[in-house]
Amino acid sequence: MEQKKHWQSFGELNQSEAYNKDVKDEFREDLPFDAADDGKSFLDAKAPRRDFLKYLGFSTAAAAAAASCEMPVKKAIPFANKPEDVVPGIAKYYATTYVQDGDAVSVLAKVRDGRPIKIEGNDLSPITKGGTSARVQASVLDLYDTARLRFPTIDGKEVTFEAADKAIAASIGGPAVILTSTITSPSTKAVIAQFLAKYPGSKHVTYDAVSYSAILLANEATNGVRAIPSYHFDKAKAIVSLGADFLGTWLSPIEFARQYAVGKKLDEKNPTMSQHIHFESVASLTGSNADEKYLHRPSETAAIAAALLSAVNGGSVSGIADAKLKAGVEKAAKALSTNKGAALVVAGSNDVNVQIIVNAINNAIGAGGSTINWATTNNTRAGIDADFTALVNEMNAGTVSTLLIHGANPVYSYHEAEKFKAGLKKVKTVVSFATKVDETAALCKFVLPDHNYLESWGDAEPKAGHFSFIQPTIYPLFKTRQWQDSLLKWSGVADDYLAFLKNFWSAKLGGVAGWDKALQDGIFSTATDAVSAGSFNGGAVAAAVTAASAGKKGGKVELVLYQKVGIGAGQGASNPWLQELPDPVTRATWDNYVIVSPAMARTLLNIDLNNGGQADAYEVNPPKKVVKVTVDGKSIELPALIIPGTHPDTIGIAVGYGRSANMGKSADNVGKNAFPLACSNGSTVNYYCADVSITLTDSTYPVALTQTHSRYDTAQGNRTEVMKELTLAQYKHHPTEIREERDTELKPWGGLEKFESQGTIYPVYDRPGLKWGMSVDLNTCNGCGACVVACNAENNVSVVGKPEVLRGHEMHWLRIDRYYSGDMDNPNVVFQPLMCQHCDNAPCENVCPVAATNHSSEGLNQMTYNRCIGTRYCANNCPYKVRRFNWADYTGSDSFSDNQTGVVNDVVLDMNDDLTRMVLNPDVTVRARGVIEKCSFCVQRLQEGKLKAKKDSRPLVDSDIKVACQQACPTNAITFGNANSKESAITMVRQENPNRQFYVLEQLHVLPNVTYMAKVRNTEEGAHQT
Amino acid sequence: MHLKYESQLREPLVYGDKTYKQVTEDIVRPIEAKPTKLWYIGFYIAVALLMFGVYSVYREVTYGIGQWNLNKTVGWGWDITNFVWWVGIGHAGTLISAILLLFRQGWRTGVNRAAEAMTIFAVMCAGQFPIFHMGRVWMAFFVLPYPNTRGPLWVNFNSPLLWDVFAISTYFTVSLLFWYSGLLPDFATVRDRAFTKLRKRLYGIASFGWTGSTKHWQRHESLSLVLAGLSTPLVLSVHTIVSFDFATSVIPGWHTTIFPPYFVAGAIFSGFAMVQSLMIIVRKVFNMEDYVTIGHIEAMNKVIVLTGSIVGIAYLTELFMGWYSQNKYEGYTFWYSRANLFSPYGWSYWGMMACNVLSPQIFWFRKMRRNIFVTFFMSVIVNIGMWFERFVIIVTSLYRDYLPSSWSVYYSPSIYEIGFYAGTFGLFFTCFFLFAKYFPVIAVAEIKYVLKTTGEGYKNQMGNIEEQKLEEFVHEHAH
Repeated sequence: MEQKKHWQSFGELNQSEAYNKDVKDEFREDLPFDAADDGKSFLDAKAPRRDFLKYLGFSTAAAAAAASCEMPVKKAIPFANKPEDVVPGIAKYYATTYVQDGDAVSVLAKVRDGRPIKIEGNDLSPITKGGTSARVQASVLDLYDTARLRFPTIDGKEVTFEAADKAIAASIGGPAVILTSTITSPSTKAVIAQFLAKYPGSKHVTYDAVSYSAILLANEATNGVRAIPSYHFDKAKAIVSLGADFLGTWLSPIEFARQYAVGKKLDEKNPTMSQHIHFESVASLTGSNADEKYLHRPSETAAIAAALLSAVNGGSVSGIADAKLKAGVEKAAKALSTNKGAALVVAGSNDVNVQIIVNAINNAIGAGGSTINWATTNNTRAGIDADFTALVNEMNAGTVSTLLIHGANPVYSYHEAEKFKAGLKKVKTVVSFATKVDETAALCKFVLPDHNYLESWGDAEPKAGHFSFIQPTIYPLFKTRQWQDSLLKWSGVADDYLAFLKNFWSAKLGGVAGWDKALQDGIFSTATDAVSAGSFNGGAVAAAVTAASAGKKGGKVELVLYQKVGIGAGQGASNPWLQELPDPVTRATWDNYVIVSPAMARTLLNIDLNNGGQADAYEVNPPKKVVKVTVDGKSIELPALIIPGTHPDTIGIAVGYGRSANMGKSADNVGKNAFPLACSNGSTVNYYCADVSITLTDSTYPVALTQTHSRYDTAQGNRTEVMKELTLAQYKHHPTEIREERDTELKPWGGLEKFESQGTIYPVYDRPGLKWGMSVDLNTCNGCGACVVACNAENNVSVVGKPEVLRGHEMHWLRIDRYYSGDMDNPNVVFQPLMCQHCDNAPCENVCPVAATNHSSEGLNQMTYNRCIGTRYCANNCPYKVRRFNWADYTGSDSFSDNQTGVVNDVVLDMNDDLTRMVLNPDVTVRARGVIEKCSFCVQRLQEGKLKAKKDSRPLVDSDIKVACQQACPTNAITFGNANSKESAITMVRQENPNRQFYVLEQLHVLPNVTYMAKVRNTEEGAHQT
Repeated sequence: MHLKYESQLREPLVYGDKTYKQVTEDIVRPIEAKPTKLWYIGFYIAVALLMFGVYSVYREVTYGIGQWNLNKTVGWGWDITNFVWWVGIGHAGTLISAILLLFRQGWRTGVNRAAEAMTIFAVMCAGQFPIFHMGRVWMAFFVLPYPNTRGPLWVNFNSPLLWDVFAISTYFTVSLLFWYSGLLPDFATVRDRAFTKLRKRLYGIASFGWTGSTKHWQRHESLSLVLAGLSTPLVLSVHTIVSFDFATSVIPGWHTTIFPPYFVAGAIFSGFAMVQSLMIIVRKVFNMEDYVTIGHIEAMNKVIVLTGSIVGIAYLTELFMGWYSQNKYEGYTFWYSRANLFSPYGWSYWGMMACNVLSPQIFWFRKMRRNIFVTFFMSVIVNIGMWFERFVIIVTSLYRDYLPSSWSVYYSPSIYEIGFYAGTFGLFFTCFFLFAKYFPVIAVAEIKYVLKTTGEGYKNQMGNIEEQKLEEFVHEHAH
């Protein structure tokens, strides 16, 4: 039917010329001031004086109003045409892959209104099974980093991609070298191959900031394959690690943490656990989780490996002087030998000989085919040090004419950076694809910024046959281009990378449908369950053992360079969430420092941690003494932190700090670069120095620690209500020990059974319906910090910067407390994630004068921000100290304008940038200055889950809700759900673990809703301190 | 007319053979004279301090509580320490005027006016802290329970902080009324002596048309007794409720049933010390040694040694209970965080012990009680000690509580916390200087009331009469 047209006048009907003119000029009348021009007075004008004054008055008022109103005009533009599948306010999840250097983790990006705001693990991934790490969680913030390069540059000046392409095409030529970090992407490898084919004589060199070439070379020597196999910590009953931080930073920590937790999860009825014996020099995350830990000098690693090999082969342990260490090696050998076929040895060393010996041990204990699988190799690291050294030499010799750099930053991370810099000057055409002007890109003529992974297309193959896909979740924010596109263009290929990628995969995946399905799932696997033991050839072992025994002996003090969980080799340095994430082991933020042992502290720093007064003074005063560490004439001055569990003659310094100011506000001037202290042993780079000198300087430097005291068994009382741990032997001998201990603690109030009613003078109320509860298994929690960053991202937790952390103003809703017990030189370490306990009888609630914090009918302790007046009484009265106060205007959301300057530092201001604010979760209020905030059990997720169940007219089930910390956890240490439901996982966990379960500070009768499962250590010794 | 007979052994409460006129002259003269140079210097220093305080509060309100050095573990520091300290000081005035009035302690007349003024100013100062310690002070009206448009939102009557709001506002109101009703006859006196129209008018308004009729006096006396009766429980309740802020919490070192009596005793202790500090200066500056006599000072020193010892017993009881309860958390707080001199805040505990418990024992000696310099020095020491007490209670309990993981770094105040405290001194002394200039600092009418029984002249006269032979007396009075 033709649409009916209603007309209003004949003019409109006829569309007369006069009518059209009138319509057009309807409101166009000249301001009638012109009368004044022809000599008449204003009074005679068409607009008399009064009108003029009216105009004048109005315009002045309007101008004044406009000028005095400093509030920026924020535009929210609704969709003119709403895309069919986008509902404002409803999040969409896209499967993609986090890729940084060689690491590739399958993830889901949560996209709200076109903005990725949160990264979650992809449950479908057989590698991570939904686990993430702190760095993966934080990576979404990198997308909105204000320091990202926003356009291509030539000599630092902005150009268009066309211009850059033209210029590069003119100067590019063979032999070209593509220098990258490890690339796991099969399509990218194909793109590179095309490029190399176009420029004969070209090659691709892989450079890893922290090298794993020793493992690759050792495997080549013993197994004939230059590759890294899959490790299966889940299948190992005995795990021996020679300094491999496999839960924190070594190779594939998310995967290993998940596997490791399998062995550590305790079935109360049938208590068995894997046994993990760790040898290390400087306290690490993995060492802190070990059942037993032995300390050694880094120069002794080879000797220990050799002794262990000898012992598992039935020989004697020789060449180790220290009695404790010798006993440890014997013990490790015994554990490995008794668990043949279910045992695994890994080593973090980058010394080929050590790795060859380790391979021999693994061969001797039958690890191949059981805990080591050669059928599926781990592709995340492929760089060979010698290749890069050769490249540097070629560059210096002037035989490289073109260098394309992607993902590698040798100017920062190469130990002989000066040599590389010198070589770089001799290369005619240097192109960097860095997303920021990093240390290397700053020296490159052409910088063509790559997309962030959340803007990219791509694929990855972290393990052979396990593919993971990358799809963009947002239109590129800046004038950036995927580097594969550039390579294709310069190779003369007409396709862009997306087309190339589609072609590449469509065949393999069975057409477009297969491709779409793979994109949707994010993963695709051709890997089979086949397990290969590989073929071991022990020919190189004897030489390696000889070399090991002849190895360089250490000096008085030795140095270990290590990576932090959050910062890695410097990739995390520009991410404020990661900088503010307390290091799990040292609890320090925003700095690197020298880790010294308590024994060394006594002599070097004159601080004895066993002396109450000295320990107190060390703990309560953030300024720490600065020491000077000198290695081969290179020296570095850093503050010293005393970390128990470190060898008395070894010090540790984290790499990844001291980045250039170009990397962003959070990297600028934070810590110092320790990479130059590394050295080459001829074939590989050593991340330790066997002979260093360390001297105390006169200065001090404040270190922002979030936890200053680390023992719960103070001299004045053993606070068993805070933390409970025991050994497996104790548990087997007396399973109800923890339960009985709780009963004794609660004896004055009726014991465990009657405590709830007798611990109070008030009546006890029913709590029907939903009742949210959480359980944390301290056995599987390894303290990695993924949950902390996930919480930051989910709940818009402010970053406060170093000066504020120093003053105890950090805002983390979830923290991981780290406690020591036992011998302070080599203590037992236990990690305890602590968030709001949502007490049923919450002490914070009754003290608030305005009832801003109160209890929901679902057992949540809720915080009403706009009712809060900020007395901080609740925070004082919280025995868990989980409440956080907004000391300053961290979010820029205050009604007082201009009150951040000079109060919060540049990092915080940067977090308030319009770009960075895009990461905020719109479901969670951004808190203003002067109010208290705390963990809400992700109430926004609870609401969403409840609504989902309600829309489906069914009761709520566990799968409806996963709180952020729970989702992020690679080991599933956190269980959450409705504790009143009989089927929920939380109820199951509590029922299945009656013996290990405890509440923190239960005796206070605050009735918390978070249960903890006591830490059990698989060791015979009575390490139980309680 | 005065039926009360007082022993000759008692010291006179007013020295010099004063007549009513002389009393009026002595006390009202400073109001009518031009202020001295000393007054101006003091006043300007006070105003300067006040301005510093205003600036400090401006910083805090504009930029956030982060201008102070509090942290996630120590949520209260100097702010609440100063609040409790000032409230404590505010106790002596009402105690002197109300309880001593009910007990018919004649000596109170010399000091009650200034002590009450001090109370009011101290409570004004105290009130600043709970108000400005709020993160969002512009929302402070949320604590007032009035029918509002914010839905069913109501204050939380369970919260001791809310009780504070009521306790302190009530105390302030009653104290102010009590003080003002006492001022009425004296304002009338000043009005009647006025030499300018403006003075006459202003003091006329201030005196509410007091004519001194018998009816006025009768009502005045009744009102005083009623207000005294109302104030008396308040003296006990205010600091009891302030102590509830701590006593009802779960924090070791706060969660203590001994707090109410211990806080009240401490408040009287510090209040009297503050009265001493002020009165020793006032009597010197305004030449009022005849009215605020050494006897007054001695009487107040006796109260100080008594309350100081009560406080001391409370400290020892806490320590004992810290051990006897065998509660490791309390034990740690009392024996390690506090009593251990070498722990980070050990100095503050022992500073408190030295100032509050040990040093006041000097007042067992009469010579010391009657020594002006010792008294002045001790009064300052006691107030420092009482400040330490509140600091010890608040900071040493909080900074290391239950979870060792959350133990705090060393808390010390920022310049703006100190500035806020200094500012309240400025406020206090600004008010006090204005009071000393424009108000009769000693209750003229009440002095006159006791003059005929305990004034020196009257006492001498009575003494003479007592020593006279009967014939002489009869002879003298025969005409």
